[in-house]
Amino acid sequence: MKDLINIKKVDKLYLGLWLILLIAGLVGLVMKFSTGEKLAGYGSYVPWGLWVALYFHFVGIAGGVAITGIMGYILNIGKFRNRLFQVGFISFACLITGLFSIWIDLGKPFRFSSVFLSPNYGSMLTFNSWMYVTFMAVFGFAMYLYYKKSDKSTLKDKSGWLFPFLIFALMIAFALPSQSGAFFGVIDAKAFWNSALLPVLFLISGIVSGGAMLLLVFSIIYKDEYAENKETFKYLRNIVSVGILIYLFAEIAEFSIVLWSTNSHSAEAIEQILFGPYWWMFFIVHLGGAILALVLLNNKITSKSIQLGALVVVVTFIATRLNILIPGQTISNLKGLKEAFYDPRLTFTYHATLNEYLVASFIVAFAIFAIYFGLQIGKKLTSKN
Amino acid sequence: MDKESNKNNENKINRKDFIKSAVLVGAGVTVAIGSVGISSFKDAPKSKDEPKNLPEFTTIPEDENSDILIRMQRELKEAMKKPIHERKWGMIINTKKCVGCHACTISCIAENKLPPGVVYRPVIEVQSGEFPNVQLQYFPRPCMQCEEPPCVDVCPVEATWKREDGITTIDYDKCIGCRYCITACPYGARTSDFGHFYTDNTPEIQPYEKLSNHEYGKEWNRENHGSPIGNARKCNYCVHRLDEGELPACVTTCIGRANYFGDLNDPNSLVSEMSRKTNQIKLLEDKGTKPTTSYLI
Repeated sequence: MKDLINIKKVDKLYLGLWLILLIAGLVGLVMKFSTGEKLAGYGSYVPWGLWVALYFHFVGIAGGVAITGIMGYILNIGKFRNRLFQVGFISFACLITGLFSIWIDLGKPFRFSSVFLSPNYGSMLTFNSWMYVTFMAVFGFAMYLYYKKSDKSTLKDKSGWLFPFLIFALMIAFALPSQSGAFFGVIDAKAFWNSALLPVLFLISGIVSGGAMLLLVFSIIYKDEYAENKETFKYLRNIVSVGILIYLFAEIAEFSIVLWSTNSHSAEAIEQILFGPYWWMFFIVHLGGAILALVLLNNKITSKSIQLGALVVVVTFIATRLNILIPGQTISNLKGLKEAFYDPRLTFTYHATLNEYLVASFIVAFAIFAIYFGLQIGKKLTSKN
Repeated sequence: MDKESNKNNENKINRKDFIKSAVLVGAGVTVAIGSVGISSFKDAPKSKDEPKNLPEFTTIPEDENSDILIRMQRELKEAMKKPIHERKWGMIINTKKCVGCHACTISCIAENKLPPGVVYRPVIEVQSGEFPNVQLQYFPRPCMQCEEPPCVDVCPVEATWKREDGITTIDYDKCIGCRYCITACPYGARTSDFGHFYTDNTPEIQPYEKLSNHEYGKEWNRENHGSPIGNARKCNYCVHRLDEGELPACVTTCIGRANYFGDLNDPNSLVSEMSRKTNQIKLLEDKGTKPTTSYLI
């Protein structure tokens, strides 16, 4: 363990920031486990909040990392043929972080194994859970075959199974963020969610944030190789930039069609996004973040600007999840339900509480640790080869 | 001294008198029970699926002027004699009779010992017109007990399902608290138990809040974060009361007698009679859930 994590090499400032996140997060976790859900801001009419958004964000990133990384490997772009471990472990780290986020959110977290022991396969949540396990098994096996391979520069291995398994892993990686969209899309009760566009939006958002995560990590750990490794960075920059534009285009298409119609059921939710209490989440965090990232990734590019641009995308693209998750729940089908019975848990508004932010801080610290740890294992495996 | 001892003797209960009184009280109780004619549990069911022979209050007269509760109570007991798959519970709420008193909401909370933030039957007020020409209508909203319940399909662990008699139930021992069912219900009929107590932040949680509830015929105690804390909860037509031959709490406490409850499979039941009325609506029919609960307007 000691030789895996060499703290001396880590910038002390970043380590300090991470420790702050971790300590604040641990305080939040203790509060969470000692009080249950009493300190959370979600209720029965808006039952999902920040932790669920983080779950979908990290699952999207996991899928996006795998998609961009495996594509890079298959198409032999830059140094991707030598970095499959890194791609795999970053993807796994993000997936495990996402799963941790949703585990924390469960009312009965220690019953999570029921999803595997007594599953209802008709539920999209069960389907998703099984897909995560399948993804890790398939991609994990592909990484094992890659480990056994002597010549890393070639696509195929001696057994001939690496390529098929990578293609299989790629297909599941495409499914991960898309399924997250389908998770909401199958809910007929919420007009805003019940859209075929949702899985597509989640997929694009996953590829953008996953590509940005890979770009961020690579631009930090391989910054010395920046000049010789430009192809890798260019590929990831292009994916992220084009992805942002496609996402914005899809969003404009959806919003304009709904708002054009005089009696669309989704209009109220979109008005919430644009002009509701969280208008800043759309205009400042999402739109502002997207424009800033586009500028940083495409104008006067330096390794620093790439790092910053990628970080902006990884952080601000959670707004794409929140802007679907929260407004979809704040619209009641039965007018007057809110007034029918008063309780702070029975309102159609949502504001994350201090405890939710503190636990979120732990989740982020956990993700950073998991990615770092994964990279160290990847490094070990690469050097052993 | 003598006076005092006499006084004490007067206060002491004489053994003979005590036995006399006990015999009289016992005989009185026996006669009283006999007079209301409770039938015995000759055929006590061995499992919940078997038909039940519940005691009947044969001396309460029933005619056309009787309280509808008497009729519904009798019909309920008749329905309970049938196997579970042969009955289908339904509820029809007459909005013209509902006065918006919220007695049903409160009785439901008392019956199921609902904590803060959990409500099974809020009463929605619908106002039409403009002042001073205003009309108020009240729509109590229990679980719709949908024939196509979207909450069941989304549950990842099969903790919720539709019984053969039409009631959608939750197994609190299985529910993982993911709240997917809550988002899937278009009526907002499911609420999550977040573990609150009315006397939170006071020196002591009051004993009445620590009492168990008996939903689904089982004892549930919320102390020490036990289920149903962390679970989704919903109206179940008071299935624990039905099993004992009692009408749902909301039905019995409705001062306007606005609730019709019973077996929809019995064409002669009051609820079936009401279900044939033409001024009947179901909430959010466009969602395709086919609610069993409906309204007369």
